[in-house]
Amino acid sequence: MTREHVAVLLDETRLTLEELAASCAVSREWVIEHVRAGVLLAEPDPDPGRWHFNSRDVWRLRKMSDLERHFDANPELAGLVADLFEEVERLRIRLRRAGLHPD
Amino acid sequence: MEFKDYYQALGVARDAGADDIKKAFRKLARKYHPDVSKEPDAEARMKELNEAFAVLSDPEKRAAYDRLGQRFHAGQDFHPPPDWDAGFEFSGRGFSGAEAADFSDFFSELFGGRFGGAEARGGRHAGPGWDDIRDDMRDGFRARGEDHHAKLMLDLEDAYRGAVRTVTLRVPRLDAAGRPVLQEHTLDVRIPQGVYEGQMIRLAGQGGPGMGTDEAGDLYLEVHFKPHGRYRVEGRDVYASLPVTPWEAALGASVLAPVPDGAVEVRIPAGSQSGRKLRLKGRGIPGRTPGDLYLVLEVVLPPADTPRARELYETMAREMNFDPRRGG
Repeated sequence: MTREHVAVLLDETRLTLEELAASCAVSREWVIEHVRAGVLLAEPDPDPGRWHFNSRDVWRLRKMSDLERHFDANPELAGLVADLFEEVERLRIRLRRAGLHPD
Repeated sequence: MEFKDYYQALGVARDAGADDIKKAFRKLARKYHPDVSKEPDAEARMKELNEAFAVLSDPEKRAAYDRLGQRFHAGQDFHPPPDWDAGFEFSGRGFSGAEAADFSDFFSELFGGRFGGAEARGGRHAGPGWDDIRDDMRDGFRARGEDHHAKLMLDLEDAYRGAVRTVTLRVPRLDAAGRPVLQEHTLDVRIPQGVYEGQMIRLAGQGGPGMGTDEAGDLYLEVHFKPHGRYRVEGRDVYASLPVTPWEAALGASVLAPVPDGAVEVRIPAGSQSGRKLRLKGRGIPGRTPGDLYLVLEVVLPPADTPRARELYETMAREMNFDPRRGG
């Protein structure tokens, strides 16, 4: 019989800097650079040891990492594109809510 | 297994230069990026492009692949000949085991134990590639396994009740000879109630294997809901249309409305029109701050398909002074 694994919901528990870096296969320094560039965490504590990340941060970081690798984007540009992805998603949800199919 | 033509996938000639390959990849990556593309197979195409680029952007992998390409063509039944890669030393651009788990069996068969590389440590990519894993095994190195990511499709009802879902993933494992191979890994996951679209859930120790005595990485599942014929979800709020009769809308009524966790009695205020939103506070997706459920009224006319029904409509037409096109 397969053992049942209990899922932990992110946002009820949040990730530390080290956990976030490990979860997205980037270095700790890479995350710090992106937080300092203002594209991750809205109002970060000066001490990175106090940073905590939620599901949205994981999603954004993965998108930015892909964008930088695929298009040689810098952190600010990758952050801007991630903002636009989020905006597109919000608008799609509103269209669906209005009974319209965005595609 | 079929031979894959990576040049065809990127739409470049076999003698294309590195810059042309990069340009072609970027152009197609824009077209098929799953976040913006309207192409129905965008996600699958993007995986294909990533895989093709992983091979053709790496000089050693490309050279070895080119040697095979002289003997095989796209779609042809393919098994790698013995020593097909003799004389090549794969290294360079790092693709982690987690990323490669998304690649095809064809890629896995050719490069399964050989990717990763110099970029993988300390730079942008901190996770070990498979070359690192193999070397580290040899050197007695210890390191925590890679974290892996996957999408998890759920029914909206699962968010209300919780659920157990079986998840099958391809993950890198070390075989008896210490060679990294992709293996199917099935696990039953208990999903707590209250998950919402885009939320990550974490399964400790279910990612890539650890090195030496160190622990395995974690598995992150990104929650998405399957499209539902009746419900639309926004964060923790849930929207549904509620069909009502003209007399329920006009006179008011109590009706039993289906909701994701059963049914609930709802009071329709008299004088309601189509589009009126009724808010059921706290009946959206559960959580510390539960979402709300919005029922959008949809007045449905009964068909005039019997003499009696026609007579009733004719009576209304005669006796009700009503013209919806009249301004007022």
